[in-house]
Amino acid sequence: MRGVGARRGLSVSVARMTSLDQRRFIKMPRSVGLLGLAALVLGGLIVFLPEEITAFPPEWDIGFGPAVNEMQQWWISNRRDLGLYLYFFDPLSDVIEWLLRAFEGLLLGIPWYVHVVGVGVLFGSRMGLSRGLAAGGGMLYFVVLGLWELSVQTFALMTVAVAVSVAVGIPIGILAARSEWVNRVLRPLLDSMQTLPAFVYLIPVLLFFGVARVPSLIATVIYALPPVIRLTNLGIRQVPTESLEAGTMFGTTSGQLLRKVQLPQAAPSILAGINQTIMMALSIVVIAALIGAGGLGQEVLLALRHQEVGRAVEAGMGIVLMAVMLDRFSHSTIGQGQGPLAFSELWSHRGVRILGFVLGAAALLGWIMGWTDVPSGLQVSYAAPIDWAVDWARDNLYQLGNLPLGTGPFSDFLTTYGTRPMRLYLSEEAWPVIVIFFGFVSWWASGKRLVVGSVIGTVVIGLLGMWTLTMDTLSQTVVAVLMAIVIGLPLGIAASRRDWLERSLRPVLDTLQTIPSFCFLVPVVILFNVGRIPGIIASVLYAVAPVVRLTNLGIRSVEKEIVEASESFGVTKRQKLWKIQFPLAMPTVLAGINQTVMLVLAMVVIAGLVGGAGLGLEAVKGLARSDTGLGFEAGASIVILAMILDRITQGWATRFQPPSSDGH
Amino acid sequence: MADSGIRPERSSIRPISASGVWKVFGRRVADAMQMARDNVDQSTILAESGCVVAVKDASFEVNRGEVFVVMGLSGSGKSTLIRCLSRLIDATAGTVLIDGRDVGEMSDDELRDLRRHTISMVFQNYGLFPHRRVIDNVAFGLEVRGEEKEERYQTATKMIELVGLDGWADKYPEQLSGGMKQRVGLARALAVDPEILLFDEPFSALDPLIRRDMQDELLGLQERLHCTMVFITHDFSEALKIGDRIAIMRSGAIVQVGTPEEIVAHPADDYVRDFTLDVPRHKVLSVGAVMAPAESVDWAGVHPEGEPVAVSASLEGVLPRLLTEGEPVVVVDDKGGRCGVLEPAVVSRYLWPG
Repeated sequence: MRGVGARRGLSVSVARMTSLDQRRFIKMPRSVGLLGLAALVLGGLIVFLPEEITAFPPEWDIGFGPAVNEMQQWWISNRRDLGLYLYFFDPLSDVIEWLLRAFEGLLLGIPWYVHVVGVGVLFGSRMGLSRGLAAGGGMLYFVVLGLWELSVQTFALMTVAVAVSVAVGIPIGILAARSEWVNRVLRPLLDSMQTLPAFVYLIPVLLFFGVARVPSLIATVIYALPPVIRLTNLGIRQVPTESLEAGTMFGTTSGQLLRKVQLPQAAPSILAGINQTIMMALSIVVIAALIGAGGLGQEVLLALRHQEVGRAVEAGMGIVLMAVMLDRFSHSTIGQGQGPLAFSELWSHRGVRILGFVLGAAALLGWIMGWTDVPSGLQVSYAAPIDWAVDWARDNLYQLGNLPLGTGPFSDFLTTYGTRPMRLYLSEEAWPVIVIFFGFVSWWASGKRLVVGSVIGTVVIGLLGMWTLTMDTLSQTVVAVLMAIVIGLPLGIAASRRDWLERSLRPVLDTLQTIPSFCFLVPVVILFNVGRIPGIIASVLYAVAPVVRLTNLGIRSVEKEIVEASESFGVTKRQKLWKIQFPLAMPTVLAGINQTVMLVLAMVVIAGLVGGAGLGLEAVKGLARSDTGLGFEAGASIVILAMILDRITQGWATRFQPPSSDGH
Repeated sequence: MADSGIRPERSSIRPISASGVWKVFGRRVADAMQMARDNVDQSTILAESGCVVAVKDASFEVNRGEVFVVMGLSGSGKSTLIRCLSRLIDATAGTVLIDGRDVGEMSDDELRDLRRHTISMVFQNYGLFPHRRVIDNVAFGLEVRGEEKEERYQTATKMIELVGLDGWADKYPEQLSGGMKQRVGLARALAVDPEILLFDEPFSALDPLIRRDMQDELLGLQERLHCTMVFITHDFSEALKIGDRIAIMRSGAIVQVGTPEEIVAHPADDYVRDFTLDVPRHKVLSVGAVMAPAESVDWAGVHPEGEPVAVSASLEGVLPRLLTEGEPVVVVDDKGGRCGVLEPAVVSRYLWPG
C-alpha cells in the first residue's frame, strides 16, 4: 500500500546515486565518536543510577485517560444541544447513512448471478479470458460461502469511503500543486498521517461520533485520503515545463490549462493514488469492524473471539479475494493510462454492448421477480475441515514427537531468547537510560531537532502511564524487525542475482502487500494459538516484503558501468557484493527497512486482537469497552512511538544518501 | 500565412522590437544589475548577490518576414530571451513591442489574445501533449480559442499534410520518431496561423541528418509562408544556414547582430571570431563582402580581359579561377558597371584568417 509511493521516491534516490558516497566516509569519525560517548554516558548511568529507578514511575501518570472519559461523558450528555452536531454532523451522518443504504440496496437488488457474470466480463475484457474466469470464480466464492451480504456491506462502505476520499482528495491535491504555501503546510501532515497505524484513526472518531457505520466511514476517509492528495499533487507537478509552456503559448486560461494539459497528464499518477486509497480503505474498513463497521471484518473478528478458526478463514479469504481483485482491477486501469477513455472504447464494441444489455435485462427481471436469493442448495462451507485441520495442527505440529521441533518449541525459543529478555530489559531498565538512549540514536540518525522530539515524546509516553506497555510493544517490534531483516535481506540479495527467483518472488510479494493486515492474524492463530508470538509472526509476514523488494531493487539499480569497473579489477562475487553493490544499494535498502519498521509496528498493534499484549491490546480494550480514555492513551503512545521510529529510520536512510548532484 | 495581406496597417511597424531587456533571477535584482553593468562576471555576481543575470540589456529589432536567429552557447540566456518576447517569463526591465504594442503592459486577456492569434512557439523537446493524438495536438490552439470541432480538424488535417505527416493523425506522440514529433510541433504552431513563430532550439534533439532535412523543410515552408521567425540555436552553422540575420549572445548580452556574411567577414570580437573559424567561408561570403571597392583600386594593375563576376555571387564560384590564375578579377554590379576587384591576397586573408 505504501509501496507505490516509496518506489517512486526510490527511483529518484537511485538515480542520484552516481558516485561513491563520499560524505559517509567523512561522517564516520563523528558517528564513531558519538557512539563511544553514548556508550560511556549510558554505561555510567546504568552503573551509577540508584537501583530503585526502573520503569517510569506510575504515580507520575497525569491521568489523561480519565480526563478524556469525563470529556466524552459531557459530550454525550450535551451533544443534543451542540450546534455543530445539530446542524452539521448529524445531517452529514444522515446523508452518508442514506447513501450507504441506497448503494447497498442497489447492489443487493441486483441478482448475484448478474454480479458474477458482470464482474467476470469486466475483468475478462481488460485482462483476458483466464482472469475473467478467475474473477467470476472469485465472485462465486462470496455467493456459495454465504458471505454475499457481508461482502456487499464491506464493499459498499469501502466504495462510498473511496468516493468521498477522491472527491475531497483530488481538489486538495490540485490546490497543493498550485500553491507552494498549501503544499508546505500539507506535506508534514500527510507524512505523519501515513506513518500512523490504521488502528489509531478509530479512536478519536469514537470519541466524537460513537460506534456505528458512519464513524467507521469517517475514519476510513481520513486514513485513505493521503495517497490521492499526494499523487494528484505529484502528478500535476511532474507535468513537463515545456508542456505547460506549450499550453500557455496557445493562450489557455488557467482552467483550460488544468483541464486540457495538467490533469490528463497527471491521470496515471492520480489513478495510482486512487489504487492506493482503495487498498488502504479496504484494510481499514475491515479493522473498523471494531467500531461497528460490520461486514466481512466483523465476521472475522467474531470468529476470532470465539476461536472458530474455520469461520475466520472463510471470511478472511473473502477479504483477501476482494483486495486482490480490487488491486488487479485498478492496476489494469493504470496500466492503460487512459482511465475512463478505455471504458468508453470498451463500450463501443458491439459484443460488449449486447452483453451489457442482456445483463441489465437480467438484473431488472431478477429484481422484479425477486430472484435475488442465493439458492440454499448452492451453499457450501469449508469451515469444518479447517477446524479439524487446526485441531490436528495443534495436536501434531505443536511438537513433532519428542523432538524440539514444531510450532510450540519454536514459540518457546522465540519467547525465551527473543521477546522476553528484550521486554524485561526494556521495561526494567532505568527509564532515564531509555530516554537518553532514544536521544542518542535520534542524534546519530538525524540531528538535534529529532533529539528534542524523541526525548519529549518518550517522557510523554511515561506521563500517559503507558511506559511498560510501550516497552512491551517496542520489544515485539524490535524482534519482528530483526526477523524480517534476517529473512528479507538474504532473500533480496539472492533475488538480485537470479532472475528466476525475482520473477517467482514478485507475485508472492505483491500478494503479501495487497492483503489487509488484519487477515494475517488468521493463519498464524492456527499455528501459534494466541499471545505475543503469533503477532510477531504475522508482523514478519506482513512486513518482510519491502526489505526483499528494495534490497533487490537497490542492488539491481547500481549502475552497470560501476559494476563492470569493479569486475575489471578481478573482484570475487563476494567482494563485488560487499564492496560495491551493497554500499551503493544502502539508501534503498534502508528505505525498505524504514517501511518494514512501520509495517511491523502497525501489525504488532493490530495483534492486540489475538492477545498480542502491549499498546495494541490496550487500544483494543479501549475500543471494545468504549473506554475511550484508555484508547486515547494507548493510541497517543502508538502515534509517538511510530513518529519517533519513522524519523529515526528515515534519518538513518538519508545519512547514506550520497551528496546530491542536481543542485545548480 | 497566405492571408498576410489582411494586416496592411501593421506593415510599417516592426513585428518585434526589444529594447534594453533584462532578466535577473533572484532577489537582489538592483545590485545584480549594477554589477552586470560594471561588467562583473556571472559567477562573482552569483556569489555576491545570489542572482543570475540571464539576459543583460538586450536590444534588437526583427523585420517582417525575416528569420532572426539568436545564437549562443548553453547558459548564454537565449532561451530566457525568447521567453521574454512572449512573456512566458516576465522581463525584469526593458520593453518588448510586438506589432508596436508593449507586451509588458498587456492585461491577462490581451496577452492570451496575443498568444492565441499572433505568436506561436516550437519547443526543443517538442512540448507535445502525450495524452492527445497527433490531430488533437495540432488542433490544440484552435480548440483553446473556441473553434468548432469540425472546423479545427479541417485546419489541423491541412497542417498535418503540410508537414508531410499524412496518415499519422490518429497516432499518439509516443508512437512517432523525434523528427516526426517536431513536425507535429511545427504543424501545431502553424495551425493557429500565427504572424510570429518562435523556435526554441527546435532541432537540437534530432540526429544530424534529420536535422538537415528539417532545416531544409523549414526554409521551404518559409518561402511559402513568409512568417516572422525568431529561431534559437547553439549551432553556428545552423544559424548561418537558416538566418537572414543573426544575433550572437554571450553571458546574457547580445555581442553582435548582422547577416551571416557580416558576421563571418567582420566578427565583432574574438568570441565571435572563434565561432567563425570552422565555417566554410567560401560558401558564406559573397564576392561583394571581400572585394576591394572600386574607389580604392589602382586600375592600372588590373587585367581587364578576364570575365567579370557579379557583386552578389558566392565566392565559391570564382575561387577556382582565382586560385589557378592568381590574377585579380573585376567585379561588376547588376547594371554591369565596375564596382570593385577581387585580389587573391585579400581573399585568402578572408578565407584563412590568422
